[in-house]
Order: sequence, then C-alpha cells, then structure tokens
Amino acid sequence: MRGCTTALWYSLGMAASAAIERISELLDGGGLETSNTSMRIPTALRDAAALAVTELGVAPSATALTTAALRAALEAVVMQAVLDDHYQHHPRARPDLGDLAIAAAELDGHPLAAEPGRLRQAAAEIARNHPDASPDDVLLWAEARALPAA
Amino acid sequence: MTRLVVLDNEAAQALADPTHRKHRQVVSHVQVVASRKRRAAAIQVAVPTAVRVEAGWDRTSPAWAFPNHLRISDIPLDTAYANTAAAIHSQTGVPVADAHLGAVIQSAPAHQITVVTSDPGDMRLVAGDKDITIATI
Repeated sequence: MRGCTTALWYSLGMAASAAIERISELLDGGGLETSNTSMRIPTALRDAAALAVTELGVAPSATALTTAALRAALEAVVMQAVLDDHYQHHPRARPDLGDLAIAAAELDGHPLAAEPGRLRQAAAEIARNHPDASPDDVLLWAEARALPAA
Repeated sequence: MTRLVVLDNEAAQALADPTHRKHRQVVSHVQVVASRKRRAAAIQVAVPTAVRVEAGWDRTSPAWAFPNHLRISDIPLDTAYANTAAAIHSQTGVPVADAHLGAVIQSAPAHQITVVTSDPGDMRLVAGDKDITIATI
C-alpha cells in the first residue's frame, strides 16, 4: 500500500521529488527478486568486505553486507531530503545543535541526557569554533568538560 | 546489531503535527537517526501498528504525509506479538497499543531498543525485566 504524499515537497523540484518518491517505493518493495550487476567496486574494498564476513561475521555474505550498507545510505538520503523539505516549510521545526545533542544522548541512554542544560552549553561552546560539529562531538565535549582537572 | 527506535502514541502524533509542542523534539530524534544512517550505523525507526491505530496514523491520509516519508516501518501485530501483548495486557491492564509496544520490547535483543515516549512509567511496566533505553518527550 502506498502512503499518502499530499502536502509534501514544498521546496524540492518536481524531478527531485519524483526521484525521492520512487526511491522510497523501491526501498519498500523489498522483494526477493535479485539482479546481477556490472557494478565495479575497488578490489581492496571487495577483499575487505570478504574478510569482514568470513573472519568477523559482520554479515552472512559480502553481498548482504553491501546491500545493507546501500539500503542504509539510500534511506538516509530519503530521510534527509524529507526533513530538509520540512524545515524549509516549518523553520521552527529545525532542531539546533543542542536539540540534536540531547536527542542523541537520549537515544543512546547516555548519562548526560539527564543534563540538557549542560549539553546546550557544550553545543553553544563548540559551535563557536566548529560550526559543522555533530551531536556526538557535543557529547564528547560535554563529557570532557565534566572530567575533573588532572 | 540494529538499534530499534520505537515511537509511542504521543511521539507519533507530535511528529505528524508541526504545531504540537513536542514536534521539534521528536523531529530531533528522527534527524539523529537519519544522520547516523548516513554514517552507516545500523539503526531503524519503527512503530507498532496498534500504536498507529491509537495515534490515528492512517498511511493513506494527507495529515500523515510527513511521517510516511521518514522510513518509519510498521511492526505488525502478528500472532507471536499478539500472544505476548495479550499476556502483558492481562497482567498490567495497559491499553492494547502499549501492550503491543511491550511485546516489541520484550522480543528485541537486549540493550538494542530505545522507546520515544511521553509515559516512561508505562514503558518500564510493559518492558518487564528487559533493559531498555527511554527517551522521554
């Protein structure tokens, strides 16, 4: 069943919105049908994937590992496009770095999740010198600040 | 091992409604998941279908277009979940949606589930002895 798409895509161009829509449908498809591809990947990457499968058991096969990584990457693309579109239409919905650091801490069960004020302060400090800092950078900085001086 | 982020009723409603006072908070959680997926982290957002019913989340309704596109998967109330949920419901008296959520929690691998919820007490109740992470909204 297809989800309703009305009221989305305020800002994306028609071609981009159609592509996002189609990617999402294809990801939902998830059937058992497979295809051989002529995709070429670096030999070293292929060998690294094979080792990770045989020696570390990270996935049932190199194909499964590659497929899972590709799916995650495509899902991230779709999610970010939808979120960016939403932020454009609802600017107040866009989280700042402090919001994201708190959310990251909450998702992980990090002890600093209970101290949102400290995380917001750390976010403000780190954003001054590192405008592209990630929520995880903020958590690290907040943790470091919480350590007693040696 | 994939970390599963599960939404409760109010989290789902807050996500769908930009005027909801917790909208930005739940969007923050989804944004973190999207960023982590981009870095190839194994993480997934999901909603039990009974929670969807309670929240009024109809995937064919225009009102839910935004959450519909965020790659949030359904966890159906299948036979196994229904059995576990029935036991939780009769033991605790929680609503069916929370019992379904509890069944999802109890069947997930340890330390791999986060529940985004406005009712941490009920979530701990339905989780039984399962160690879960709770993101309170």
